[in-house]
Amino acid sequence: MNNSSRWQKAISAWAGLTPFLLFCLAFEIVPIILLVRGSFLDKSGHLTTAHYVDAATPLYLKSIWNSVKLSGLTAAIGTLLGVFIGYNIYRWPSKRVQELLITLSDVTTNFAGAPLAFAFIIVLGSNGIVTQFLLQYLGLKIYPTFSVYSFSGLTLAYVYFQLPLMVLLIIPAFAGIKKEWRESATNLGANTFAFWWNIGIPILAPSLLAGFVLLFANAFGAYATAYTLTGSRLSLVTLQIGFTITGEVLHDPGIGQALAVGSLLIMGTCIAIYQVASNRARQWTRR
Amino acid sequence: MAYLELTNICKTFSSVVAVKDFNLSVEKGQLVSFLGPSGCGKTTTLRMIAGFETPDSGSILLNGENIAPIPPDKRGIGMVFQSYALFPNMTIRDNVMFGLKMQRIPKQEAVERADKVLDLVRLQNTAKRYPHQLSGGQQQRIALARALAIEPRVLLLDEPLSALDAEVRVALRGEIRRIQSDLGITTVYVTHDQEEALSISDLVVVMNNGLIEQIGSPQEIYRKPATRFVATFIGTANEFQGKISSSSSVDCGMFSLESTRLQGMPVNTPVVVLIRPENVEVFAEKPQEVKHNLFEGRIDTVTFHGAITRLAIDIGGRSITADININGQSFLSHQQNVWLCFNPDVCQVMKTE
Amino acid sequence: MQESKQPEKGEVGKPGWLQVLTIVFFLFYMLIPIIATYIFSVATRWDKTILPEGYTLEGYTEVAKNPYFLITLKNSLVLSVLSVVLNLVLIVPTVYWVHVHLHAAKPLLDLLMILPFGIPGVVLALSLVQVYNFQPIHRSPFLLAAATVIFTMPYMYRSVSNNIEAIDIPTLTEAAQSLGANMVNVLTRVIIPNIFPGILSGSLLVFATVFAEFTLARLIVGASFKTFPMLLVEYTRKDGTIAAGLSVISFTIAWIVSLLILWVSGKGIKSTSDVIKAR
Repeated sequence: MNNSSRWQKAISAWAGLTPFLLFCLAFEIVPIILLVRGSFLDKSGHLTTAHYVDAATPLYLKSIWNSVKLSGLTAAIGTLLGVFIGYNIYRWPSKRVQELLITLSDVTTNFAGAPLAFAFIIVLGSNGIVTQFLLQYLGLKIYPTFSVYSFSGLTLAYVYFQLPLMVLLIIPAFAGIKKEWRESATNLGANTFAFWWNIGIPILAPSLLAGFVLLFANAFGAYATAYTLTGSRLSLVTLQIGFTITGEVLHDPGIGQALAVGSLLIMGTCIAIYQVASNRARQWTRR
Repeated sequence: MAYLELTNICKTFSSVVAVKDFNLSVEKGQLVSFLGPSGCGKTTTLRMIAGFETPDSGSILLNGENIAPIPPDKRGIGMVFQSYALFPNMTIRDNVMFGLKMQRIPKQEAVERADKVLDLVRLQNTAKRYPHQLSGGQQQRIALARALAIEPRVLLLDEPLSALDAEVRVALRGEIRRIQSDLGITTVYVTHDQEEALSISDLVVVMNNGLIEQIGSPQEIYRKPATRFVATFIGTANEFQGKISSSSSVDCGMFSLESTRLQGMPVNTPVVVLIRPENVEVFAEKPQEVKHNLFEGRIDTVTFHGAITRLAIDIGGRSITADININGQSFLSHQQNVWLCFNPDVCQVMKTE
Repeated sequence: MQESKQPEKGEVGKPGWLQVLTIVFFLFYMLIPIIATYIFSVATRWDKTILPEGYTLEGYTEVAKNPYFLITLKNSLVLSVLSVVLNLVLIVPTVYWVHVHLHAAKPLLDLLMILPFGIPGVVLALSLVQVYNFQPIHRSPFLLAAATVIFTMPYMYRSVSNNIEAIDIPTLTEAAQSLGANMVNVLTRVIIPNIFPGILSGSLLVFATVFAEFTLARLIVGASFKTFPMLLVEYTRKDGTIAAGLSVISFTIAWIVSLLILWVSGKGIKSTSDVIKAR
C-alpha cells in the first residue's frame, strides 16, 4: 500500500469519528475552554486576575472550605463504613443475599438529589420519625443542637449515597485478593494479622485510594441534594456557582468562572488520582 | 521408619467421597507423584498434608510426629501452587524472603538465604523486579525458590506446570527434579500428566475416584500395571477380552493368545489381555520362526510421530495399534498386507471385575 | 486444573453476629428514608408518633389536579427519550467504528468518557449558558438535552463497549461473510442483535439518570421548561405530603428501571467465550 492511499485510509477512518467529536467539542470541550479563558478576562476583554482576587473573599473562601470539608468528611466516613460493610457482604454465605445487597447498593447510590433530601427531612426533621423515636423511646432530644438543615444533616444525607458507592467499588477489590495468596502466606508461616498487614491491605490500598478520591469528587460536585436541603443556609462552592447562573444574588459572573475553574482543578486532580490508583489495582489483581 | 507416613486417610465433602483408605510411606529424599485424572483426590490429599484440609480419619506422621493438630502456618512444609501465587505488591526478593520474615529471621541472614535460593533457580538478576514483569515459567521458579527458602521438611507441588507452555514444562520439570535431588528434599508432586510423573518420580501413586490404584516405581507402573485403570491410564494398550483356556492361553473369540503371565488363574476366568503398542512386531512377509501370537492383517492408517510411527492394523475386523521404529524401512503403506506378532511375555493378563 | 468434583469449602455456613449486625445497620440506613417517604405520602398527620395517625390518598389526587403535574412529567419524559435517542445516534456507531476500524482512537475515546465525571453539573451549566447566549439556543430545552447527553454519554459508552468487547466481532463478521452475508446483513443480522443487551442497558440507564436530573434542568433552562424534579423541589417548600408523593413516583421509576436493567443483563450478554465454554 503506498503512502497516499494509507493516508486516505487513515483520514476516512478518523472521519467516521467526526460527528461524535464535533458534539463533544461543541458542548463540552470548547465551552469549558472558553470558561477558563473567560475567568482571566475582564468586561472589556483584557487579561486580569481580578476575578480570582474577588473570589478570595471570606464568603467564597468559606464556601470552598465547606465543600472541601463536606467532601472529605463524607468520603472518609463512606470509605470506612463502605469497606466494613462491603467486606461483610463479600463474606456473606448466601450468594442470593449477597446479590440482593449489591443490587440495593447499586440502586441507592443513584438516589442523590431532591427526593433524598426530602426523605431525610421526613426522617430527621424537627418532627421526623427518627427524631420522634429517639425522643419517645430513648429520651434523647437531638434538636436544637442537631438540625437536618445544617452541615451535619447534609453530611448524613451525603453519606447515604457515598456508602453504597464505596461498597460497590470495594467488593470487586476483595474478590481480587486471590485465595492462593492467603494459602501461600499461611503456608509460609503467616497468621491472619500478618497476611492482612503484609499482603491484604497493601493490595487493597490502591482500590481504597481510588474509592476515597471518587467519593470526594462525587460529593464535591453534588448540587441538588444540598440545594433542596439547605437552600442558601449553607455555603458550598456548587451552590455559589449556581447563584451566579440564576442571578439570584447579584454576582459578578467572573467570580462564578473563577470558582468553576477552581472546582475543575480539584475534580481533575481527583479523577487523575483515581485513574492511576485503579490502574495499579487492576494490574495487581489481574495476574 | 518412613519419613512421611499417611495411614488410612479418608476425606468426604458433604456426601462426595474425595479420598478413601489412603496409605503411603515415603522415604526421606524421595520424590513421589500423585497421578490421576481430575477429581481423583490427589490435590485433596496434598492439601491435607499441607494442612488446608483436615482428614476425617487417619493419621499423617512426619518424621514420627503426628502433624494433624499443627495448623498450616506452623508445619514447616513448603508449597508451590499451580497459579504461582506470588504476592504482587512485593519484589521478587521480598516474596522469597516472606517465609523467613514470618520466622523472624534477622534481615541480613534472610537476604543471604533468599539470594542463595534465587541462585539455585538461576534468577538472581530478577531480585528487584515485580512478579507481573516475569514470564510464567520464571514466576513458577520464583514460587519454588520461595518455598525452598524456608528449608521445609517436605516440599509439596500442586500441578505446578499445568499453566505453562509445553516446551517450558519439559525444561522446568527437569530443573525441579535436579534441585530436588541435589537438596535431597522429600517431595510430593501432584499431576495429571503421566509423562511428567513417569519422568521425574522415584515413586508413583496412581489414583482414581479417591482410591489408590497402584503404588510403584515408574517402571513397575508402566510394565506391570496392577489394575485395568492403571494399564489404560498410563500409555496406550491393545485390549483383548476373553476367558482363560489353558495354563498359557486365553481364548478371545476369534483369536487365541499365548501368555506367560496368567499367574495361575483357573480356566474359564474372564480376563482382559493387554499388549503395549511398542511390543508389537510388524513384518512385511510372514516370519518363519514365530510360533505364538502371529496374525495376518492389513494396515489401516500410518501416523508419523517423529521417533516412532504408529500403525493401526486390521486383523480380521479388530484394530491393533503398533508403534514401530521406521529406521530407513519404507515398506509400510496404507492397505499393505503385513504380519504382526508379540511375545507371550509381554501379554499382561488381568481379571475383569 | 482444579478437581471439578470437590465442592467449595464452607459452602453452607452461617453469618457471624457481627456480620448480621453490620448488614442490619446497612439495611436500616438505606431503607428507612425510602420507606418513610412511601408512608409519608399516604399519611394524614404524622408529627408526633412512630406511625402516621391516618392514611389517605389525598396527596396524590391533589397533585394530579395540578396542571404542572402532567406538564412536568411530559417534559421529563421528552427530555429523557431525547437524551436516549441522541446517545444512541452518537455513541453506538462511534463505539462500533472505533472497535472495528480505528482501535488507535480508543484511548481518546476513553479519555472523553472520563471527562464528564470531572465536570460538576453547575460548571457545565455555567459554561454552556455563557457560550450559547444567542437565540434560539439560549436557555432552550435543546441546549439542556445536549448537556444531559454529555453527562450520560459515559453510561451508554460503558454499556455498549463492554458488550462489544465481549463478542468477537471480526470472527463473527468473517463467519457471516463466508456464509454469504454482505455488510448490511452482517450489521443488522449479526452485530446489532448481539450488542442489543448493551444498547438496552445503556438506554435504560440514560433514561433513568436524565429523568431524575435537576441541576442541569434548573440552571440551563429554569422555569420555562419545568421538569419533574423541579416540581418536586417546589413542593418540598410548599406541601410535604405531595412532595413525598412525587418522591414516591421518582423512586418507583428508578426501581423499575434498575430491575429492568438487571433483567436485561441477566438474560446475558452472551460472550463468545461463554459459548465456547458451553461446549
